[in-house]
Amino acid sequence: MARLIRTEKEVEGRYEEVWIVVDEDALDRWPAGPLTTVGQRVPRVDGLARARGQALFTADLQLPGMLHTAVLRSPYARARVISIDLEPARSAFGVRAVIGPADLDQLTDEPGYVGHAVAAVAADTFGQAQAAAERIVVEWDVLEPLLDADEAVRQESFVSDVANYERGDFERGLGGADVVVEAEYRTQVVVHNSLETHQAVCHWEDDGITIYISTQYIWGIRASMADHLGLPPDKVRVICHAMGGGFGAKNSPGDYTPIAAELAKRTARPVRCALTRREENVAAGNRNATIQRLTAAATTDGTLVALGGDFVNAVGYSGWSATTEGPMKMLYACDNVRTTQYPAKLNLPPMAAFRAPGFVEGTFGLECLLDELAVKLGIDPLELRRMNYADSDRTDDRPFSSKNLAECYRRAEPHWAKRDEVRARSRGPWKHGIGLASQIWYGGGGPPSYAWIRVGSDGRAQVVTAMQDIGTGTRTAMAQIAAEELGIPLDHVQVSLGDSARGPFASISAGSSTVPSMGPAVRSAAADAKRQIIEIAAQRFHLEERVLDLRDGQIVSTDGGSWPLTEVTGLLESGQILGQGARGPNPAGMQVLTFGVQVAEVAVDVETGEVRVDKIVAIHDVGRVINALGAESQVEGGIIQGIGHTLSEERIDDPATGSILSRTLDAYRMPTIADVPEIVSELVDIPDEHLTNLGSKGLGEPPIIPVAAAIANAIRDATGAEIRSLPITREEMLRALREAEAREKERRGAAAAV
Amino acid sequence: MELLRPSSPEEATGALGNGSRALAGGTELVPLIRDGLVKADTLVEIRDVVPRGVTGTRIGAGTTLAELELDGEIPQALREACAQAASPQLRSMGTIGGNLLQATRCWYWRLGFDCWLHGGETCFARDGAQREHAVFGNDKCASAHPSDIAAALLALGATLRTTRREFAVAELYRLPTDDDRNVTTLAPDELILEIELTTPDASTYLKAMDRRKWSFPIVGVAAARFGGETRIALAGVAPIPWLLDSVAILDEATPLPGTGYKVEIARALVRRAIEAI
Repeated sequence: MARLIRTEKEVEGRYEEVWIVVDEDALDRWPAGPLTTVGQRVPRVDGLARARGQALFTADLQLPGMLHTAVLRSPYARARVISIDLEPARSAFGVRAVIGPADLDQLTDEPGYVGHAVAAVAADTFGQAQAAAERIVVEWDVLEPLLDADEAVRQESFVSDVANYERGDFERGLGGADVVVEAEYRTQVVVHNSLETHQAVCHWEDDGITIYISTQYIWGIRASMADHLGLPPDKVRVICHAMGGGFGAKNSPGDYTPIAAELAKRTARPVRCALTRREENVAAGNRNATIQRLTAAATTDGTLVALGGDFVNAVGYSGWSATTEGPMKMLYACDNVRTTQYPAKLNLPPMAAFRAPGFVEGTFGLECLLDELAVKLGIDPLELRRMNYADSDRTDDRPFSSKNLAECYRRAEPHWAKRDEVRARSRGPWKHGIGLASQIWYGGGGPPSYAWIRVGSDGRAQVVTAMQDIGTGTRTAMAQIAAEELGIPLDHVQVSLGDSARGPFASISAGSSTVPSMGPAVRSAAADAKRQIIEIAAQRFHLEERVLDLRDGQIVSTDGGSWPLTEVTGLLESGQILGQGARGPNPAGMQVLTFGVQVAEVAVDVETGEVRVDKIVAIHDVGRVINALGAESQVEGGIIQGIGHTLSEERIDDPATGSILSRTLDAYRMPTIADVPEIVSELVDIPDEHLTNLGSKGLGEPPIIPVAAAIANAIRDATGAEIRSLPITREEMLRALREAEAREKERRGAAAAV
Repeated sequence: MELLRPSSPEEATGALGNGSRALAGGTELVPLIRDGLVKADTLVEIRDVVPRGVTGTRIGAGTTLAELELDGEIPQALREACAQAASPQLRSMGTIGGNLLQATRCWYWRLGFDCWLHGGETCFARDGAQREHAVFGNDKCASAHPSDIAAALLALGATLRTTRREFAVAELYRLPTDDDRNVTTLAPDELILEIELTTPDASTYLKAMDRRKWSFPIVGVAAARFGGETRIALAGVAPIPWLLDSVAILDEATPLPGTGYKVEIARALVRRAIEAI
């Protein structure tokens, strides 16, 4: 029966209350650990097609008569358009349409950041469009930009309200402390730089529009473009078959989709609007910079008695303010916590969600500070974390649906125990050390999400749902779940996704939610089909339904009978068995979170500031693992992206004008394969017994979260230097080393004076 | 745009000047044209007219970095400088002659800011984002010269033969002045044909980068020992490759607030390079 319930929905740490209809039959829980297909190491079902270049990305699409777009973007961080003359572009060779601020909301005559879209040209070729865009004449009134986040706080320039939080009494906690550490941490702006840049192709046909787009949320694009265009949502068809990366930056239509739709309407042609690599580095979203001024206080026995912080999020011109203070509020069982978060509005390009927004930055600050505290207390960093273990969610005293962080810590022990051995590798200027950091994050997913399944007379199944595979291996995971439930081989399952016109509503692929949101719906649909198959088989073989099951492509009975599945499905000829499934609610009154710990081994050349990461051991608790091989790949991807964030990636802004100086991949330094250390990935793989019919949480984001702090803590272990700022470039490393030397000298001086 | 394919150096130089540009590997020129930093109506393809390959101590200017990094006969400093430059793809296309003539990676210059080096009034890096910038010769322009190979050739005391003259590689470079913002002495219609090496007793090239591969030098140090004499040259520290007459010269560096760390790295690498040879 359909049930209407009110539930809490979380994406990227942001909550809202929603009504949902739940129509899920309770299913038996699968046993823990690897099953026939689920939990096994399964290569991607579309891996070969991707390797051969056959997978169809939005960037590959060529429609007959398709036009190309160039966007004129503001060269100024804050300015007013006094006048704009589009005519020289209109008369340029190959140009089919030109639009400016008067034609579309997404084009502005008051740009608030470098890269803000002002005008756009559609032409037969991209080169013609670019040449024409350069002919647009703009008279600017250039205004003074606001670029400094602390100054924005002073001026109360915010994108949303300042967020205050306190539990217990921070000041009193501080008063009762034996040891207090305070530090200011800074994190930089990093850019997603997906291999496939942000892009869409818009094509008006049959009084509606088809949008081919590189997106993490087909249904979100459908809803927001329908709203933007004033169309019923079913007149907007959104297609994304394969995607070259999103990492949080492709949840919405951006400016490029409305621009393509408007130009397509004016020209009656399909129009592509694709950001160039340079636009991608400027105007496609970013992980915003943060300033974190933190305090941690403990008694000599290691009990945390106060945690506090002022967190400045340099959000940019627009966007939302991520919960950088989240780890401080949630990770430890501290009674007295006080945080303030300032969402600074600046004349810099807007942020976009980036793989665990806020928590990557906040974990760097908190987990580095905790190690500083451990040093002062003379307590082993792993022990200090155990001493302050949170058994429930301390922000609202809810129990966790499951938490196996203690098991993660236990499994980290053998790696952590190598501290002396690692330090003993130090030779000459190269100092070796080891560090760890914990991970906490969301990743429980939620309703609504639906899947259909059809089983043909050949006994093969097709999962149909209008979800997207953003490159994380979703097709494979969904096929595994359906194969497991139906008891058929993996290669007898196909997954049809990527098209809002084919299949039911499906979740956003953000917030580590794809598997925990979609997986249960797919299992539920497969179970619906299985129930029908067993009902039919019972009639065919004159047996009771309760003695029948599906296994290894066979219908089996408890008395040892076995018939090929096709003996039943084959009766249907062109008939099909149709199953449907829905994602049930998250457990009421419980907090669903993911946990983990990472241990990093590093080497530092103390003369040149070079930091080499030798090894990272990642141990995460995300409930049941669906694809052990795919999960490993997610862990590796997160760690590699985390190493970029920690060591080399940084958007460079001109401090005077707010112009973006790092626009190419030689100036914006992502790690190469040579920078990748040995990665050991271990998943606890204990199903969450309260969460859905799978007990699976998401893994997309957790692995990137503790990387920076684990590396910085290993650097402290190796050298005594306190890292305070990301990325840990050579100048930051040398600064921290010199500061540590001065501190040591002062300490010795003080000791000598005594 | 016109592409000419001359069949002799004379024909090539005849086609150069008047705004036309010589094209070899294209790894530098093509991006500069695409970004509008070089305007040229005519490109003169010189691949077939400039010598390529190594003969004894002579290196054809058209030899690619990939060919040089594999050549066991050339001095180690040059081989290392080639091997640590760019990426395998770029090294397979880029020539040693072109490498010596590449422009700075200064982001203000590359993005077309109207900076002093482009003929304007201001060096934006001096008061702006400057972590990759110069610590020597930086009073007018704080750009850093990116060539690893140029530093190696300076240390090795190489000489160049062009279509017009023969001269020490040090004379290829000049600090730009108010009157002339060029960083090389090469005439617009002059082609580098060959590089002549002197064989050192030992040599090396050490490079500090922001990541392990595919990065321009934060600091590159080339050192070569000829009997009792050691020559040291640096990459990435000045608007041109910088010959270090003595280690003490490092004390005379004029770093910007954001580039002091380069001096510290240079000190360590110079010491290590000297120890290594």
